[in-house]
Amino acid sequence: MSLLSRIDELSGSSKVRRAWFAFACAVFVIVIAVPSIFVVTHLFTDWDLVDLVLNNEGIRNTVVSAVANSFSIALIVTVIDILVGLPMAWIMVRKNFKGKKWLDTLLDMPLAFPTAVIGISVVMFWISPEGINIPGLGLSLSPYMLVILLHIIFTYPYMVRSLSAILEQIEPNYETAAMTLGASRWTAVRTITIPLFRAGLATGFILCFARSLSETGGTYIALTMMGVQTSFFTGPSFISFLKSDESWYTSDEMMGAQILISVIMIVLALILLVVVRKIIAKFRFPMNKVWPDLGRKVSRGALPKAKDFLTILFLIVVVLLPTFYIFLYLTQPIPTMDYGQLFGSIGTSFLVAGIAVAIDIIIGVPMAMYIARHREGKLGQLLDGLVNVPLIIPTTALGFSLFLFWGSLGLDSSFDLLLVILGHISFTYPLVVRNLIGSIEEVDPAYEEVSMTLGAKPFQAFRKVLFPIIKSAVIAGGILAFTRSLGETGATTSISDTVNTVPIYITHLVEDGLYTEAAMCSIVLILICFIIMFGLRAVTGRRSKRDA
Amino acid sequence: MARIKLEHVSMRFGDFYAVRDINLDINNGEYVTILGPSGCGKTTLIKVISGIWTPTEGKVFVDGMDVTNIPLEDRDVGYVFQNIALFPHMTLKENVAYSPRVKDQGDEAMESLSTEYLSLVNMLSRAGMFPKEISGGEQQKVAIARALASGSKMLMLDEPLSALDARVRVELRYELRRLVKKLGITVLHITHDQEEAMSVSDRIVLMRYGSVAEVGTPLELYRHPRSVFAANFVGETNLLECTVSDKTKNGKTRVKLRGGQEVRTSKTDFKVGDPVVISVRPEHVYTANDGLRAEVRSVVFMGTYWRVRTMADSRDYVDFNVPADEEVPKEGDVVYLVFNKKAVVVFARPQGGIEEEIKLE
Repeated sequence: MSLLSRIDELSGSSKVRRAWFAFACAVFVIVIAVPSIFVVTHLFTDWDLVDLVLNNEGIRNTVVSAVANSFSIALIVTVIDILVGLPMAWIMVRKNFKGKKWLDTLLDMPLAFPTAVIGISVVMFWISPEGINIPGLGLSLSPYMLVILLHIIFTYPYMVRSLSAILEQIEPNYETAAMTLGASRWTAVRTITIPLFRAGLATGFILCFARSLSETGGTYIALTMMGVQTSFFTGPSFISFLKSDESWYTSDEMMGAQILISVIMIVLALILLVVVRKIIAKFRFPMNKVWPDLGRKVSRGALPKAKDFLTILFLIVVVLLPTFYIFLYLTQPIPTMDYGQLFGSIGTSFLVAGIAVAIDIIIGVPMAMYIARHREGKLGQLLDGLVNVPLIIPTTALGFSLFLFWGSLGLDSSFDLLLVILGHISFTYPLVVRNLIGSIEEVDPAYEEVSMTLGAKPFQAFRKVLFPIIKSAVIAGGILAFTRSLGETGATTSISDTVNTVPIYITHLVEDGLYTEAAMCSIVLILICFIIMFGLRAVTGRRSKRDA
Repeated sequence: MARIKLEHVSMRFGDFYAVRDINLDINNGEYVTILGPSGCGKTTLIKVISGIWTPTEGKVFVDGMDVTNIPLEDRDVGYVFQNIALFPHMTLKENVAYSPRVKDQGDEAMESLSTEYLSLVNMLSRAGMFPKEISGGEQQKVAIARALASGSKMLMLDEPLSALDARVRVELRYELRRLVKKLGITVLHITHDQEEAMSVSDRIVLMRYGSVAEVGTPLELYRHPRSVFAANFVGETNLLECTVSDKTKNGKTRVKLRGGQEVRTSKTDFKVGDPVVISVRPEHVYTANDGLRAEVRSVVFMGTYWRVRTMADSRDYVDFNVPADEEVPKEGDVVYLVFNKKAVVVFARPQGGIEEEIKLE
């Protein structure tokens, strides 16, 4: 009997199925959920360290301003994303034009770039820092402004995607109905479509806010290139800064500072998750008043066209150009590089991302199936909420927390690689599971039930019926998680200082002022990413065509 | 009151004409159904009339005024959607008050209009509920109230009943007609259900392949269809291929079926030898001692009558009805069929054959 048919046989027993689900839950709780917030316990066990920080005015002020910077930047970035993301979502969902496919692909591009690379590129584009001989716009921007511009780039695609997903679900007939009743397009959108957006707005808000809050690599690199990494901090960049010198981060005070920052960011982020959901669900737009003439004026003529034009202009100038600016380095002579180091770090990155994604999928599928099919139950809702937790927690804090958790269990630095992989599983797991839940909910359970009435065992029904249907969501979630892992800096640094993934290697090059080398590494990495993504798309595309 | 007139209206998507060169006059307060198989351009036509789409060619007039290029929100057309499309985040009252609200007519108008039209459809007691809390039929009633509250004098109904249960569908269609007749509103009602079209409308516009196939009152279309397609699509009928065999001076015609049996029909303009098709509805076929020999293939009880299907010697299936309380033949029996000659309609035989002519898509 082959392994598969043995599993088929076993899956007939409800005990086995329950045990498998319990195992997936246990892995989630022990490996992902608990370590993610373990640092909070250190507030109590290591209070003396935290107390040191609170009594040192200099460090205390730095910590407070770093956290304040992080949250205010995240808020501003998210609000801008919403304002510019809404018209973009409209263009993507409701309009048909030539080149829409290209726009669609371009929109996702920044997600495939490691944020460290975008950090270099953005600084090059907006200001012309010393040591880079490719001219940029040369504006004199404050670090605060620049970090905002940087964070918009990799949060914007999340916002547009979340809003588009909701807009696609909203019946276009609602707007038409409103217009037959005498509402102008503008009034129809304002009174009908926007109020129906709530769920998408909450998801987009949380995704963008959390992403901005936890971004480390790009921010730290940008600040380093501006020469302000020792004076201007966000929460995560402060931890990165501490990690750049061993004598600092092992000192008691700095240990306390890290604990304090991590705990504050985790707690605030979790509160935010709950509060934002509540507010957006309760909030009723004060929209009873309408202005028919104003509505008609802004619905016709030049204004809607100007709005679309500005939306596309924003995408090009603020998002795409700064992202791709680094490719200008291809015009420069190629420097002598340490290819061994580069490919070594690429190998490490792929190893970490590959294993993390594989484990995400294996333990994510039963979890997603349970959540999707038990929405009404208490456990289902609880798990649905818990799965989001690692997504909300800033990855630097998450990494630090993991480091403390496994360290307290006696896993020392010789297990660094394993710890980094565990860390990457934590923050990529929600991406995979969220994608799977969405697609499993779309599938009528009747398909599996039919296949079981025809004699299939539960695992056979899953393999032969459900899995082929949700395969594209598995791949999409996998790609998302893989690129996210590949680009991650914060979690990796805060877990270990010996595991050299590509973003870490690039950060080190930038710290040493080797911009050309850093840029070339970035380009090599991006090209490899694209080849893999297109390859994967081509392979899966062809297979789905054959199936059809 | 609203009189609608279409002149050479076409709607083209790329190379494909969804509707082509439509000319139509609809009178004040008339209830017109647009009937046709799916994909025949029905919905496109009323979207063009209501202003959701602008026709690529031709003009739309309302009360003599060219409205072709007037934007949707200024058209003042009530539109009821197949999928109902009540705004899910508003109560029923807010839904009905939406039109006065967006026209900024003030709180009083919102209150009085929503009350008036909700009570008109007997839904006032549920005014505070949300759409998902009421049944499909009730939702569609509220959607109709919402469209009427806009003060519009014409109402477009885009398959308004097709998403509802069979019983609700039948009740609501009479209710609908009673309502709009009371208000004197001009109605364009789209449906693919010929029974629905016959039972509610003053006039039926039968569409096919984006063009108007035939226009007439339900009775005209049923009794005197002018094409094989109309005869088959409106009501049920038996179609038999034959040839004109004899004609009297005053036009009374005889046709010869395959197999040689002769049948008498009413007056026609065909000449002896013309290839034709006759259409005879099942209620006009009787059994007799002599006539077209046929073998009974199936007998089905339909409630008020029996439906008997036979294979005639002319190699055609011929269906006929037997009243429920009368004796019916058994499967395998041989019967002799005669047709009511006044109800036999003769058409020229379509070049592509009958099958091609009555194809629905």
